[in-house]
Amino acid sequence: MYPEPTNLWERIEYSSLGITIAESTWMFPTIETLHVIALVTVIGTIAVVDLRLIGAHSRLHRVSLLAKDTLPLTWAAFALAAITGGLLFISKASSYMINPYFLWKLVLLALAGLNMMYLHMTTWRTVEHWETDPTFPFQAKLAGWLSLIFWVGVVFCGRMIGFTLGVFY
Amino acid sequence: MGDFLYELTDKLRGTALVDFSLAVSEWPFSQWVVSQFWAIPILQMVHIFAIAGSFAAVLMLNLRIFHLAGHASLAETAARYTKVLWWSLGFVILSGVLMLFGDTVRNLINSVFWIKMILVVLGIVTAIAFANNLGRQYRTTTGDTEIVGGGVKVTAIFLALLWCAIMFAGRWIAYAPA
Repeated sequence: MYPEPTNLWERIEYSSLGITIAESTWMFPTIETLHVIALVTVIGTIAVVDLRLIGAHSRLHRVSLLAKDTLPLTWAAFALAAITGGLLFISKASSYMINPYFLWKLVLLALAGLNMMYLHMTTWRTVEHWETDPTFPFQAKLAGWLSLIFWVGVVFCGRMIGFTLGVFY
Repeated sequence: MGDFLYELTDKLRGTALVDFSLAVSEWPFSQWVVSQFWAIPILQMVHIFAIAGSFAAVLMLNLRIFHLAGHASLAETAARYTKVLWWSLGFVILSGVLMLFGDTVRNLINSVFWIKMILVVLGIVTAIAFANNLGRQYRTTTGDTEIVGGGVKVTAIFLALLWCAIMFAGRWIAYAPA
């Protein structure tokens, strides 16, 4: 028997879906594995563009074409990561919501999204003018570095959640 | 499946691996890894990023082979992403081996760990064969005609699925019946 939920997170956790995932012997690890596969796809494909932006890789390739190649895969994988992440969250919502690493992961995800959005709304608009130059504008390089830093942070926090879930009360 | 994995782990308990893994756990380096709170999370991070690099390379090669993405020629795409694949694989192996020192017994006396190792070896052999086939393919391709053989296509899909299976096994080591 589960106790009566006292807040929104417990209500989510004690929902029939939350209980089903938490009580199953295979559901949580399977969803977690799909989450990892989706996440590494997001990171790997984003890194292809980020490394080009900072000038560390694929220097002979136009960054707009690299982005065109990778973006559909990035978005598809991100959708899968969001769905599987949501399902993992439902099964232990109240534990996640008091875990600082989980909250930092959400913040870093938001920052990564805002960084990408800002780049696309500003410097990226004139990409065809600078993508053939030997060096990219400072804003483009900065966006590439920030993206890499934010995603390193997302992975770090994601791993730390596994080590600290249930530690915080 | 659970029973099979349990029996396999049980058999591992009767092998010399137990003494070996216990001895490794006593090594100064193992003791150091265990005593440093940040060592395992950092190694895991490196492992995840290396997996991301190798898996992204495999996926991008798949997309190019099946004409679903890719602005460059197959030769250029193959040259670029196979390099990423080898470097990433190097880091996957290095970080994986180092992580073993942090929890030797739990890994070596674990049926899913050995299933993962078999898949990793198969993955490396397949990746080498795939890269060689791809190299041969674009060396024989002339002009604008780009014909990708069925073997390369099948290997490309197999490699992507194999990578998923390796990741599956990797995550399930923690949940294996012991």
